Order: sequence, then structure tokens, then C-alpha cells
Amino acid sequence: MLFSMSISMFSQTINDLKINEMLIDNVDNFADEYGRHVPWVEIFNSAYNSVNVAECFLTNDTTGLYNGSGVKNWYRIPKGDPLTLIAQRSFVVFYMDNVPKYGTFHVNFDPSLPGSSNYVALISSNGKTLIDIFEFPEILRHSSQSYGYFTDGIEEKEDENGNMVSNKVFLDYFTPGSTNFVDEGLTKAEKVQARDKYGFGLAIIAMVTVFSALAVIYLLMKIFGKVARTKFKLRKTKVPNTLKKESQGNVEEEDITGEESAALSLALHLYFTNQHEKESGIITIDSSSAHFSPWSQKHLVLKQVNRKR
Amino acid sequence: MGFFEFFRDGVLQFLSYTGFANCEIGNIIMILVGIVFIALAIVKEYEPMLLIPIGFGIIIGNIPFVDGLQIGVYENGSVLNYLYFGVLKGVYPPLIFLGIGAMTDFSALISNPKLILIGAAAQLGIFGAYIIALFLGFAPTDAASIAIIGGADGPTAIFLSSKLAPSLMGAIAISAYSYMALVPVIQPPIMKLLTTKKERLIKMRPPRVVSHREKVLFPLMCILLTAFLVPSGLPLLGMLFFGNLLKESSVTKRLATTASGPMIDIVTILIGLTVGASTQASTFLRVESILIFGLGAASFVIATAGGVCFVKIFNLFLKEGNKINPLIGNAGVSAVPDSARVSQVEGLKYDKTNYLLMHAMGPNVAGVIGSAVAAGILLSFLY
Repeated sequence: MLFSMSISMFSQTINDLKINEMLIDNVDNFADEYGRHVPWVEIFNSAYNSVNVAECFLTNDTTGLYNGSGVKNWYRIPKGDPLTLIAQRSFVVFYMDNVPKYGTFHVNFDPSLPGSSNYVALISSNGKTLIDIFEFPEILRHSSQSYGYFTDGIEEKEDENGNMVSNKVFLDYFTPGSTNFVDEGLTKAEKVQARDKYGFGLAIIAMVTVFSALAVIYLLMKIFGKVARTKFKLRKTKVPNTLKKESQGNVEEEDITGEESAALSLALHLYFTNQHEKESGIITIDSSSAHFSPWSQKHLVLKQVNRKR
Repeated sequence: MGFFEFFRDGVLQFLSYTGFANCEIGNIIMILVGIVFIALAIVKEYEPMLLIPIGFGIIIGNIPFVDGLQIGVYENGSVLNYLYFGVLKGVYPPLIFLGIGAMTDFSALISNPKLILIGAAAQLGIFGAYIIALFLGFAPTDAASIAIIGGADGPTAIFLSSKLAPSLMGAIAISAYSYMALVPVIQPPIMKLLTTKKERLIKMRPPRVVSHREKVLFPLMCILLTAFLVPSGLPLLGMLFFGNLLKESSVTKRLATTASGPMIDIVTILIGLTVGASTQASTFLRVESILIFGLGAASFVIATAGGVCFVKIFNLFLKEGNKINPLIGNAGVSAVPDSARVSQVEGLKYDKTNYLLMHAMGPNVAGVIGSAVAAGILLSFLY
């Protein structure tokens, strides 16, 4: 059961991987560690925990996907490379240069070759589960722009008419290894200042919010307090008449002074702090022997030095 | 090279590594500030549990040394840097809030819930200081971090400034804790100025007995309301009410004791020491720091005035016998329990039988909730 749980948890996290951006016609763009300009594809971890992409497959030919027979042709991402562990909301780039001997991130296919398909697929380590497939238009083979999701990992967006359309676009900036969304605008704080130069708006909104939050608590506590007091009164009416008469004769219902409160508090404090807990009823005799521990004996823990006689 | 040359070079090299060789006037000034903090804590007993760690931290942070030895609080890999991580990433403040929650008795507030509104009114100091800081030319994130000093809540100030303006955090934390220690000096003149003698003599009804069920439900209700309204305040509010539930549930006594005892003590030591150590002369002795101190004072004054004036206005709508003594208005600024103690002392000055402490604790703890909510709002707008 534990094994099946771990498998399902693994598959849940690996499913958060998305093929996010790619470039095929790499003339003078992003270079690999050998300085070559080759096609590349970016994988995005959309999860909020690290995901290891090792042992998954990358391919541009999904033949044999559902019976697992395609694994021999696909590029299996090697395990043991710490760089295959993708941190939360982070990215990793693979070079599609058909030279896998160049390292972990160099796959065994090249989408720029004639006859190649128009997609790249990421398949889980069992060779049967498709994690993500990224289709691209033919024009990308000759485009100087990369192609990917406008917002990282988000496949669809709503258009002006409310219809869901693809979120894939030709991106204005190449962003291998980083977010596709490049915000050239102001920061959140700068936007606030642009609309509210001296902070009066924010101050008013914030004060109203603080008051609202605490006012709601006030109202709820008031209602709850009334209910509690009503219950208390109801209980009070159930007191036997004889006791009620006695209490009416002795106690006058009026507010007590601060000094009286302090005196009562002190008396109660002394009463509660001085009282004993429930005794066990068993008497034991504790012998008054000195506590001995060999660890505290100097002659036992220090090495004896031989002395010449 | 002869032995004497070797000996001379060795001594000179050793001397170049000592604090004496690297000392600057800024270090001396900051060390003196640290000593003043310690003296205030020991002699005057102003917030000793905060001022002693901070004061000693200031001394530690301003001992001059050669860069690159992984010693200083800002040097990656140093022990102080690891401890400072808890400040920088906002780990310590929520833990302190957990302890505060486990120590706080909300009975005064539950028995007289209208006092909670004073805690909201006193947050005026935060937003008043925010406006002034923007007028002075501070960026909105810096202005918000400085303004939160008016919340009179050290952990909240550190939490917000660690997110919005980490470079100003040292000055903001020192300013916040300094003014919290100076609450007995700052607040009484404002309270006196804004109240009449008749108002100061108002006697409030003794608080009613609060049932166990009410005490248990209070943190649950508060967390649901405040966190849904301001989710960005969750780290502080969540821990505050969680700590309170540990205390009030009465079945998790050990957890409540740990949160309100050893744990909060450890975190207080770490936060005080590292915040103090972060005030290195090179980053602290700037004109900005002086402005921060000035704005901190302004926010405290506005917050106190806001609380007192709100009570005066509120009294216009309350029946005779239900009126609130405006001397507890100052307690809305948080600074638990010092500002409530100020209300008590001021109240006794005018009527020896008028004990305001229990009443002042209501707005006092409401101020903690209010300042955490205010910090959440500022975060949601600016972060």
C-alpha cells in the first residue's frame, strides 16, 4: 500500500512537468556548454516542490507509447545527475542536437532534420504514460523567435469573447531557463504609487479593512456574549428557591471595587497555589544515600599514568 | 629573512587583523549605542528582555574585522549569518507570535468586545506615518516598512520589513523596540493633552466572567475571519491564534507551556541578538536611519492620539454607565503590556480607586490583531 502511495505521489509530481518553450532555428541564440547553437527545449516544473526528471524519456516520435515498446528509440534522461532535479517553479533546458554523448542534457534527436515530426513529448519512466506533448507549427523551423506558453505552463487562456484558446505564442524574448513572461512594466508598489501618489487611498482602504475585520469580530463576540449570558440566566432560574432566598439575603448585587477584586484575586491565587494535588496514599522511604556516578569520578575517567618508583 | 623580520611581520600581520586596526568612528558610535541600550535595560528596566539582546547584538555587530573571514552577520556562511536567516526570511516573528498567543488572555476583550475597535483605531499611526514617509520621498515599500513601527509590535515590524525593505530592517527593528521601551515616556503627555479631567475619571464596569467555551471559540473565529479577509497576514495571525488555542483548549498544557516559555525565550534571544548585530555602522549610520527614527516617533504619536480620540468619539454614542475611559485608548497601539500599564498608572493618578489595567488589556491585545492585519494589507498591496 505504501509502495502504491509512493508511486501515485511520484506520478502526481512528475505530471507537473511541462514542455514550456523551444527554439529550432538557433542561429546566434543560446549556446550549449560547447559553444554550439543547436535547437533547444525548456521543461518547466509547475509544482511547488522539486521534481526529478531523471529516467523520463524525451522524444519526437511517440510510436509504441502505449505498449512501452518505444523506449529503445527514445532519449532516457540519465539518473545520478543532480541537475535533473528541478526546483519548484524552475526550468531545465535540453539541447536537441542528436548527440547524447555530450552529456545529460543532449538528447538523441534533432527536430531540425528533414522528416521530423512537429512535436516533442515527455514520457514517464514506465514508457507508457505521456506527461506532456508540445506541438509546434512548421514555421518554427525557420523562425528567429522561440515558441512557447505566454504564461509558464498554462496551456489555454480566455480570449476577448470568453472562448478558451491556446496560450502558445511566438515569444518576444528568448528565455531558456527562465520564465517566459517578461514584465517590462512597473513593480506592484510602483503601480500603487502611480495611482495613489501620497498614499491617502491606501490608508483609507487599509483603515476600512482593519475596522471591518475587527468590527465583524466585535459583532460576533457581542452576539455570542449575549447568548452566553442568556444561558447563564436560564441556569440561574433553576436554583432552588430556598438557596435563592439565602443568597438574596446575604449578597447585594452591585459592582465590586478594584481593591476588592485585587483582594479576592490574591486570596484565590493563594488558595490554588498552596493546595496539594491528590495524594497517592502510599508511603515510601527514600534512603539518603549519596548519589554516585562513575562518570563523575576523576580517577576512573582519566588515564592512569605509570609512575616510576 | 631573519628571525626578527619574521617576528616583526608576524606581529604586524596579527595587528592588522585586530579590531583596533580596523576600527572606525562609526563602530565606536554604534558600540556606545549598544552600551546605552544595555544600561537602559539594567538601570531603568526598560524592556530588558529585548534591549539587552539587542544592545549586546549591536556591540557584536560593530566589532571591526577583516572582511572574508566568515564572521559578520552579512557574510555568507558565518554563524551569525545562519542565525540572521530567521530574521531575513521572517521565521522568528511568527514563532514569537505563537508564544504571544499562548500567553495572551483575551478575556477582557471577549467580555467587552467593543474595546476591539480601539485596536483598529490605533492603527491610524501606521497609515499616517505611511503618508508622511511618502511625502518625504521614501519608496512605497520603504514607507510601509517604516510606518509599521506605529503598530508598536517588534515581530510584525521585522516580518514586514524583511519582506518589503530588508536593507532598512535593522533601523526599523531598533526604532520599533526603542519606542516600545519608551511607551511610558511618549504616551502620557498625549493622553493628558487629548482628555479632560472628567473623562479621565470615568469608571468602567468590571468585566464579566468569560466562559471556557467563549475562550476556545474566540481564536477559531478570529483566525477564520481575519485570515480569509487578509491571507497575507496568515503567518502572524495563524500563529497568534494557534498559540491562543493551545492555551485555552486546556488539553494541550505542555504545548502551551513550551510555546509561551522556552520557545519564545529562545526566539527572543536569537531575534534580539541578530537584529542588533545587523546594525553595522556602515549600514546603520545614515541619514535614512535618522528619518526612520523620526517617522517612528510620529507614528507612535499618531497611533496613541488615534486610539484616545476614537474612544472620545465612541463615547458620544454610548449610554451613561457604559462609557469608556479614554485613558485606555493609548493601549490600542499594541506594545503588550506596557501601554496597558501606562493606562493603569495614568488612571490611578486621577483616581486612586480606578483600576484600568484589565480594561486596557482589551484594546492592547486587539492592537496585536490590528497591527498584524495592517501588515497583511500592506503586504498584499505592495509585495
